[in-house]
Amino acid sequence: MGLLELDGLTRRFGTLTALDDLSFSVPAGEVVGFLGPNGAGKTTAMRAVFGLTDLDAGVVKWNGDPVGPAERRRFGYMPEERGLYPAMLVGEQLEYLGRLHGMSATDAESATRTWLDRLGVLDRVGSKVDALSHGNQQRVQLAAALVHGPELLILDEPLAGLDPSGIDAIGGVLVEQARAGCCVLFSSHQLDQVEDLCESVTIIDHGRLVVTGKVDDLATSGSPRLVVRVEGDRDGSWARGLKGVAISEVDGGAARLVLDPTVDSQTVLEAAMAKGRVTEFVFERRRLSEVFREAVR
Amino acid sequence: MSLRDVRFILPVVVVLAAAVRIRFRLRRRSAGRPGAARAARTPRAPRQPRPRRLPGFGPFSSDVGLVAAREIRERLRGRIFRIGTVIMLAVVAGAIIIPVLTKSTPQPQRVGVVGSLAAPLHAVVVASAKTNGTTVQFVPEPDQKAANDAVRSGNIDLAIVNGQNIVVDKPIDANDSSGTAQLAMNLGVAAAVQAAHLTPAQSAALAGAKPLPVSSLQPGAAKKKVHPTSLIGVILIFVMLTQYNTWTLIGVMEEKASRVIEVLLAAVRPIQLLTGKVLGIGLVAFAQAFLIVAVALTLSAAVGSSLLHGTGPLVVVSTLVWLVLGYSFYCWVYAAAGSLAQRQDQVQSLAFPLSIPIIFGYIISLTAAASGSPSALIKVLAYLPPTAPFAMPVLVGFGAITWWEFLASVAISILGTIAVARLATSIYTRAILRTGRRVRIREVVSRTAG
Repeated sequence: MGLLELDGLTRRFGTLTALDDLSFSVPAGEVVGFLGPNGAGKTTAMRAVFGLTDLDAGVVKWNGDPVGPAERRRFGYMPEERGLYPAMLVGEQLEYLGRLHGMSATDAESATRTWLDRLGVLDRVGSKVDALSHGNQQRVQLAAALVHGPELLILDEPLAGLDPSGIDAIGGVLVEQARAGCCVLFSSHQLDQVEDLCESVTIIDHGRLVVTGKVDDLATSGSPRLVVRVEGDRDGSWARGLKGVAISEVDGGAARLVLDPTVDSQTVLEAAMAKGRVTEFVFERRRLSEVFREAVR
Repeated sequence: MSLRDVRFILPVVVVLAAAVRIRFRLRRRSAGRPGAARAARTPRAPRQPRPRRLPGFGPFSSDVGLVAAREIRERLRGRIFRIGTVIMLAVVAGAIIIPVLTKSTPQPQRVGVVGSLAAPLHAVVVASAKTNGTTVQFVPEPDQKAANDAVRSGNIDLAIVNGQNIVVDKPIDANDSSGTAQLAMNLGVAAAVQAAHLTPAQSAALAGAKPLPVSSLQPGAAKKKVHPTSLIGVILIFVMLTQYNTWTLIGVMEEKASRVIEVLLAAVRPIQLLTGKVLGIGLVAFAQAFLIVAVALTLSAAVGSSLLHGTGPLVVVSTLVWLVLGYSFYCWVYAAAGSLAQRQDQVQSLAFPLSIPIIFGYIISLTAAASGSPSALIKVLAYLPPTAPFAMPVLVGFGAITWWEFLASVAISILGTIAVARLATSIYTRAILRTGRRVRIREVVSRTAG
């Protein structure tokens, strides 16, 4: 079981600070979503793990020791922009990358076929990469990151521009890899998919860590949320004036309420019943998009 | 390289090339088969990587070898390479065969004889023909009239009447140096010698008379002829350096532009990637040059071309040596330039300044070869690593260089290559991961850049 730690990473490009004392860790066995607005420093942080950017301060550690070339050979990386030779045959390309990571020729060949088959593109093994559709290129790209059986997978926007079947295929592999004991970190802007795939998320902004934790914990943390629907009520006016209750939004008669921790939900129910027949009364989890918006506000 | 060596090497080259082609075909075919046997195997994540290669020189060389092997495979597969090889072979073959074909082989001269021709005169006719590079066929004619008719009709080239008179169709100038005028002169002398009743030894001495040597007090312009092989060699070096260095530049640029460099550098060090690339492309270049030279040598030997006469073999060896040295020197520079580029349209502006010393050395060397005397400039250029690959083979072609001068230039070139490789590697390492725009050279050579 491995553990990736980013410890105090700082990287400046002239006056721009891309990474600002960024620290977080990626444990084995879970899929960790890496979130942040555009330009937050996600790609720079991922490149730092592979030594592809110089650091002004900080260190990347694998199982407690600084990462060097030998460790990186056991990592798999999928860059945001396609990192494959456009005119090279898919099969030969994957075998080549496998061998560069230290596999024998026969192991590389069999792993190549295994992964192309698993990702549903084995029939393209003899095609040139640039003859493939966007979705298939992305699958081959993932296969390239996986072919040598890495202990750590770092994927920059692996789901961007994919159709639902592509998302299912790639997402399924990520979860499967994590279950098999791999460390998986991937960045994305599709928060719904991150919520579905990830056990944990790390959110950064301006190169700084903002939030990190289990998706479940983040969703249930903070103030309790209630969705209350009262027959005939359109604007949730009954909830105004309730002490310690804020109306987050009213959508088609359903009032989303944020309660102070001290407020008893029973009080709210009584107020609603006084207004009319209550047709919906649900405690709601925070959605990841809400966590994200609050975090990077 | 002797002819025997060539005869041995050529089949080896052909067999190797065929073997490589067949191997690629087979690999391709098996790769193209979608439902091949192993396809049905259940997916498996190879989790535990086997122990890595031993540290030290081993992994370095094996990674460099993998990178080089990929370059070789991709380059040999390219259409440009195959067509280029065929064109170059055709050009070289043409350069060898055409001069041989255009050299006309003379027909035997038909000489009509009226009456008898004394043995000494007979010998003079044969000897005259020989000096003119032809042979003689004697045709007996019954009388002068028949001989005149035969000359007029072109059946015979000339007729000798009773050893006294020569009949030709068209009048000739007495000062003419043509074969007929010489023959008439020689026959006259031979007749006079015969009439003087000299001893055979005296006759022979007269017949073997040679002009006196003439010595001048002022030195003449010592016009040496450059060996034609060195011209072909210089052109070959120019074409190959231009082509293969451009490949290196574009190859590096494409790795950067496609971001495949990020995936590669996650596994290997920049120096390994760079070394493997220039080594692979260099091996392809040398194999192509070797094939061309082997074909050229075989053809020359087969058709009896003059390309291998004299210092020819020496020029061939020095051409190959300087192709290697020239490529070794320039490949690093072009690779570093490629690491500064990001897009195809930046290639031209980067390649142009680098090609100036190549074009300069090439033109000066060709001009010197054509002028017939090695100038002082070319003797200087022969010791500068950027221009030596062109100047040195020309000097060798002139026979105007000693072995230690040659080796001194080789040594300077190797030292220059080491210096250039170090600088280029450092530029490459700094520039290859900088994306977004063209990297300025100033940004990557200063020590503080990062």
